[in-house]
Amino acid sequence: MKVHLLAALALLAGGGFPARAEGDIEWRHRATRGAATLSANPLGGAALTSFYTARGFSEATIRPYARACSFSFGMRNGGAATLTTRLADWQAIDADGRRIALRPPAEWDAAWDKAGVAQAARIAFRWAQFQAENVFEPGDWIMGMATLAATPAGPFRLVAKYRDDKGNHEIDLDQLVCAKD
Amino acid sequence: MKSISTSSSAPRIERRRFLAVAGGLALLAAMPATRAQGRGLSPVPGTPPAPPLRLLDADDKPVDLAKYRGRVVLVNFWATWCPPCRKEFPSLGRVRKLFKPAEFEVLAVNVGEDPDTVFSFAGNTEFPVLFDRDAKAMAGWPVRGLPTTLLVDRQGRLAFRATGGREFDDPEIVAAIRQLLNS
Repeated sequence: MKVHLLAALALLAGGGFPARAEGDIEWRHRATRGAATLSANPLGGAALTSFYTARGFSEATIRPYARACSFSFGMRNGGAATLTTRLADWQAIDADGRRIALRPPAEWDAAWDKAGVAQAARIAFRWAQFQAENVFEPGDWIMGMATLAATPAGPFRLVAKYRDDKGNHEIDLDQLVCAKD
Repeated sequence: MKSISTSSSAPRIERRRFLAVAGGLALLAAMPATRAQGRGLSPVPGTPPAPPLRLLDADDKPVDLAKYRGRVVLVNFWATWCPPCRKEFPSLGRVRKLFKPAEFEVLAVNVGEDPDTVFSFAGNTEFPVLFDRDAKAMAGWPVRGLPTTLLVDRQGRLAFRATGGREFDDPEIVAAIRQLLNS
């Protein structure tokens, strides 16, 4: 078990993909629009399984989540106005123009409720997600995981909408690819 | 000095502890945001009264925020699996040392975890670590994500907030604490 997990760690830490540096941080995808900067990294099934089983999920219970197309997102408000996001307003658009929504965290939580997942595990899950609705005050930087409602066949574009005092805006992250493990 | 008792070293518990640490590290690697902290604090509109906060500390002693009235209190909601929480945690100790204990305190509220897990990360701390095992205390607070930090003024009101990681000994945050101490 240790060897397996350490190998997974080495793979994850190694990166092996074209990174864009932000200070000493490496993100595979990053874009800025106005005051908002959105970053993303694909999350593999092994890392997700290790993380959530360590928080109290069984492998069987977390399997659908670990097999989904998952990303970690980090979003920063570098401006002076408040920004808001709704995950329901974000979409993946694949090469054929098909639009795929992000799955609301509450849908996963309903599944965990039905499966009788322990409270501590559900608390960890809930707060590890990129929240369905976020408010970014100036200087705030929020990260979390999210899954697509379906897995695109190939690279896709993520259109992430946010709102500030001047109206609605979009940040596009292009050439995203789901982790394959 | 706060201490957290550790359990016996049964193989099953050791395996769970390894998995907990490895899982957290795996997430750190997958979510390489440990250096991506935010900046500054935002004023809380209307400076409403702080919600109640009564929890047990690492020694199973009850801690009540209301008893800190007259001091500025930095309340930090966090978890060991949360990369920005881990990154900012040492700065909680650093900022606490900048002020007199009679004037300023840090309350680090761990959400949903047990003392063994917390101790394996935090060790002994100079400030109280409180345990909100069922997240019910946090539910009464304006928390939008982890970590969330609120600065409570001497009158027990929510004065400043931050969502996402910070370095709490950053001059901008230290100035906000001084502002509350001098007001």
